[in-house]
Amino acid sequence: MTLIPANFDPGASPAESAGHTADHGAHGNHTLTGFIIFLCSESVIFLAFFTGFAVLKLSALQWLPPGVEGLEWRSPLAYTVVLVSSSGTIALAEWFLKRGSLWGFRAFWLLSMAMGALFLYGQAIEWAGLEFGFTSGTFGGCFYLLTGFHGLHVATGILLMGLMLTRSFRSGNYDGGEQGVVAASLFWHFVDVIWVLLFLLLYVWPA
Amino acid sequence: MTTAPSRPGLSVLIGLAIWGGLLLWLSLWMGRQAYRWLPVQASSAAPLVDGLFSFETAVATFVFVGVVSVMAWVILFNRAAKYDVSDAEPIEGNTRLEVIWTVIPLVLVMAIAAYTIDVNRQIGLIGPMEHLHGGAGGAGAAGSPQAEIEVIARQWSWEFRYPADGVSTTELHLPMGRRVGLQLRSEDVIHGFYVPAFRLKQQVIPGRLIPFFLTPTREGRYRLRDSEYSGTWFAANQADVVVQSEADYQSWLRRAAALPLQPGLSDASRDYALRQSRSRTSGYATVAPAPPPMVNVPGSNTLPHDG
Amino acid sequence: MTITPFDPGLSEVPQRQPEAPNGWKRYISFNTDAKVIGIQYIATALLFLLVGGLLAMIMRGELITPAADLVDRTVYNGLYTMHGTIMLFLFMFPVLNGLNNLLIPVMIGAPDMAFPRLNAAAFWMVPVFGVILMASFLVPGGPPASGWWSYPPVSLQNPLGHLINGEALWIVAVALSGVSSIMGAVNFVTTILRMRAPGMTLMRMPIFCWTALSAQTIQLIGLPALTGGAVMLLFDLVAGTSFYRPEGGGDPVLYQHFFWFYSHPAVYVIILPVFGVFSELFPVYARKPLFGYKFVAAASLVIVGLSLVVWVHHMFPSGVPQWMRDLFMVTTMLIAVPTGIKVFAWLGTLWGGKLRLNTPMLFALGGLFNFVFAGVTGIMLATVPVDIHVNNTYFVVGHFHYVIYGAATMGVYAAIYHWFPKFTGRMYYEGLGKLHFLLTFIGTNLNFFPMHPLGLMGMPRRVSSYDPEFAFWNVIASLGAFLLGVSIIPFLLNLVSSLVRGERAPANPWNAIGLEWLLPSPPPTENFEANVPTVISGPYGYGTGLPLVEHQEAYERALQQA
Ligand code: HEA
Ligand code: HEA
Ligand code: CUA
Ligand SMILES: [Cu+2]
Repeated sequence: MTLIPANFDPGASPAESAGHTADHGAHGNHTLTGFIIFLCSESVIFLAFFTGFAVLKLSALQWLPPGVEGLEWRSPLAYTVVLVSSSGTIALAEWFLKRGSLWGFRAFWLLSMAMGALFLYGQAIEWAGLEFGFTSGTFGGCFYLLTGFHGLHVATGILLMGLMLTRSFRSGNYDGGEQGVVAASLFWHFVDVIWVLLFLLLYVWPA
Repeated sequence: MTTAPSRPGLSVLIGLAIWGGLLLWLSLWMGRQAYRWLPVQASSAAPLVDGLFSFETAVATFVFVGVVSVMAWVILFNRAAKYDVSDAEPIEGNTRLEVIWTVIPLVLVMAIAAYTIDVNRQIGLIGPMEHLHGGAGGAGAAGSPQAEIEVIARQWSWEFRYPADGVSTTELHLPMGRRVGLQLRSEDVIHGFYVPAFRLKQQVIPGRLIPFFLTPTREGRYRLRDSEYSGTWFAANQADVVVQSEADYQSWLRRAAALPLQPGLSDASRDYALRQSRSRTSGYATVAPAPPPMVNVPGSNTLPHDG
Repeated sequence: MTITPFDPGLSEVPQRQPEAPNGWKRYISFNTDAKVIGIQYIATALLFLLVGGLLAMIMRGELITPAADLVDRTVYNGLYTMHGTIMLFLFMFPVLNGLNNLLIPVMIGAPDMAFPRLNAAAFWMVPVFGVILMASFLVPGGPPASGWWSYPPVSLQNPLGHLINGEALWIVAVALSGVSSIMGAVNFVTTILRMRAPGMTLMRMPIFCWTALSAQTIQLIGLPALTGGAVMLLFDLVAGTSFYRPEGGGDPVLYQHFFWFYSHPAVYVIILPVFGVFSELFPVYARKPLFGYKFVAAASLVIVGLSLVVWVHHMFPSGVPQWMRDLFMVTTMLIAVPTGIKVFAWLGTLWGGKLRLNTPMLFALGGLFNFVFAGVTGIMLATVPVDIHVNNTYFVVGHFHYVIYGAATMGVYAAIYHWFPKFTGRMYYEGLGKLHFLLTFIGTNLNFFPMHPLGLMGMPRRVSSYDPEFAFWNVIASLGAFLLGVSIIPFLLNLVSSLVRGERAPANPWNAIGLEWLLPSPPPTENFEANVPTVISGPYGYGTGLPLVEHQEAYERALQQA
């Protein structure tokens, strides 16, 4: 993963632990390390689903359910663009935070949330219009499993961002930068990268 | 295993040589014993598998007894005296030793691997163990002889069909000394086709037709066991395999074709009927067994067998 | 060595706290102290060892005669499925996480885990999924009965057709266990990477921490694959999808890949910390440094790498192509090399030492004996033609009980005895401990050795009845199993009576080297609090006379005064 920030430094600097005594519920300084480890692990679930998809597709005698020609890709592509560009807006939000502009941060942060929500809305529309269901063969199963599981991550991302947004209103809270913000934005990039792979698998890989 | 920089003395070298010699002798002896732990050899694959197993037993004995004898030595001769609380000589490691005991196991396991790949290839030649992977399978690799026997696995019975002769049985008959083609098929869950005396085993996966070849080499009656857990009566899903001379086999086929159809062997259906007749059972839910197949020759599950 | 001036901070070296805050009640509450959580894990795990063991006793009772006569076949199938599942997910993983919780923070000089609340949450999921799993005994139709692999299509058959059935509960429980383990793994890895005492570089870390780090890395990579596979299985079972249903175009063998991609590495999750325990104990009781520390540490990482690429050795008869069989055989065999490095390092440590054969040492030696035996049968299983013959026979059952009971569980016993004084503040009774060892060692070999000849003769596993030619060895195995049942009595007796009235333990009863032995027994909640020592040399300096930390004498003096 190339998303690992510079302050992720596993081997070195064991000295810091000497400092901790109080406040044992939250160790802010390790949150990011832990979160990155978690994300690496989480990506393996997607990897497992992707592999399952590929194996089932390659070995299928009949892949698409009877009567289904293929997936309509135009509007999903549009929503893909929305989701991918939200990776840019969230980076902008972080940039504003670093510059100390809390309002700039909030604006772009909220925009990213809105774009995520729009993507979810698009997904819901698409699901409603499909003529096959979860139990329509292995294709139907894979399609809903993959998009559903990813959608769940998008929703989680939006929730996480909402949490960070409300926290930003506590005064002085984000003065020294905030690991939660970095973590939420990492998660968002992760969700985007997964979607791009998913889009390639589901819509671009020829039937 | 001395790590002192001084050269090991003569007595140490002699001791090591005796230890190594004994170890080697014991390993070779165990290797020969290994054949006796296995069932009779009734297929062309069996001697190959047994030879490999014997070799592995020898290597395993060498490694295990080697390690354990060192442990026994230190337990006997390196115990601290009762009130001795001092530390021993602080030896932290020895790179030369590390290299030696990395290389020796590497060489040993690679030798086993090379031997195994060779056996694999030979077994492959006398009856391919290779099967379709993925996909709902066609009827076997091109150029391989046509399957003459269909093997159908069910919850919980085995059925064998000889389509060319119009025979169907729950006792597998095979001709001796000839390569036979089987086609394995399951009607419900995964089963395993396993004849210990043949040293061969294959999962029977529903949705696939699996070609399987073997060459029986010894006349006799052997057990065929379901080897992939298949539900409630898995343990009872067994049948007999009868290997006969080609002439006996052909005459058996002719006689069998003339016999009327009757319900074949299925301990599961019998038990299940019994269970249903009771008002209370002492167990948990189960799927119902498939009805016993209708066959010309049912065979038996209680005759004495050779392996 | 230079004489360092007295450090004023040391005047507050932690004092023993005989009655910790809120006493025993903290063990049944949402406590965030890793030492409390560690004991919670171990107590829960031992409870489930009794449950899993009791099921095994019934199974061995059934198997003492060829006919299926003691219990109904459906019951037997439920018993062995639950036995395997309970032993792995509710005994083995929790007990090892208990050791991780107790040992990692004190060994690296951290006050606690990196995420104490996450830690407590991960623990409390264990009783939750434990209850879910045990509840399957009560639902209509009974517990899951498709083996701990839960291979479809058998696992999808659901004879009664209820939505809530044993199998569904099994999947939910296993998935929750996975979530809990991932939470734990994130915590352990972060703690080891980020919270070591000053001066404790990675190459000065005790081997137990290396093996824990390796094992938890495997959890992080492997568990998600199992979880993914299990989610698809659950949908097939309750939602009517057909990922693994052949009649709907699905592929049952795909599940086997998902399952073993995790469940093979899982065996190294189990054995690696036990290697860590061996590496900690042999130096203490042989009074010598660990032989070849660097190689032993590196070997753990090599095992992690290899463990991820051998899973197909569980599927040789599933119809995998020849090239796959050869490839996975070679990778499997390669594991003998790093493992051998460790075994020989232990022998090198013992060689010329001054051995003290007390209970922990006996368990470690017995565990090593059983491990090497299991290792060489593992190599036999790795070779395809031999595996084709013995796959799914008792040979495999023998192999893995030698390693999982004979080596791993015995290693866990060794660890419990060795660190019992440290974390309870009481000494155990040596006589009872030795009796426990003797019964366990004899019972294990009597129980599990006969399974090898049985497997070679062709006796399948997972059977409730068998042909009469297998009766002889089965009787011996069952007698061995009952002996194991008896062996648990001195163990429990020892634990309980030592806790209640054992002699008070000094800070360092074994005269061992390590940060944990510089703390009082039991250590205070925050371990070293503000006085974290600075580590100045590698672990296991027996006989070298080198101090482990700066101001070592001051720490020792403070302990003496306490
Ligand atoms: C803690 C658990 C544990 C451990 C450590 C191991 C270790 C090993 N296992 Fe085992 N295994 C299991 C638990 C474990 N296993 C379980 C639970 C199953 C069955 C699951 C089920 O089906 O339900 C299983 C099944 C299993 C199979 C599948 C069998 C089948 O179903 O058909 C195979 C096949 O290759 C195998 C191989 C090995 C090998 C090669 C090792 C190696 O790691 C061993 C390496 C160690 C040594 C070799 C000894 C020390 C080395 C030396 C002294 C150096 C010199 C040695 C030589 C030159 C040989 N195991
Ligand atoms: C950590 C893992 C672990 C442990 C510790 C054990 C421990 C034991 N196992 Fe284990 N076993 C598995 C994991 C484990 N097993 C797995 C994964 C399977 C495969 C399942 C499958 O195929 O799906 C299996 C399968 C399995 C089988 C094969 C079943 C079959 O294929 O049909 C057998 C048969 O003998 C068996 C026996 C035992 C015995 C006798 C013990 C003993 O060591 C238990 C000792 C413990 C105790 C004895 C404590 C309890 C005692 C009491 C509560 C009171 C005493 C009671 C009396 C004296 C009556 N086990
Ligand atoms: Cu306290 Cu990190
Ligand atoms: Cu394995």
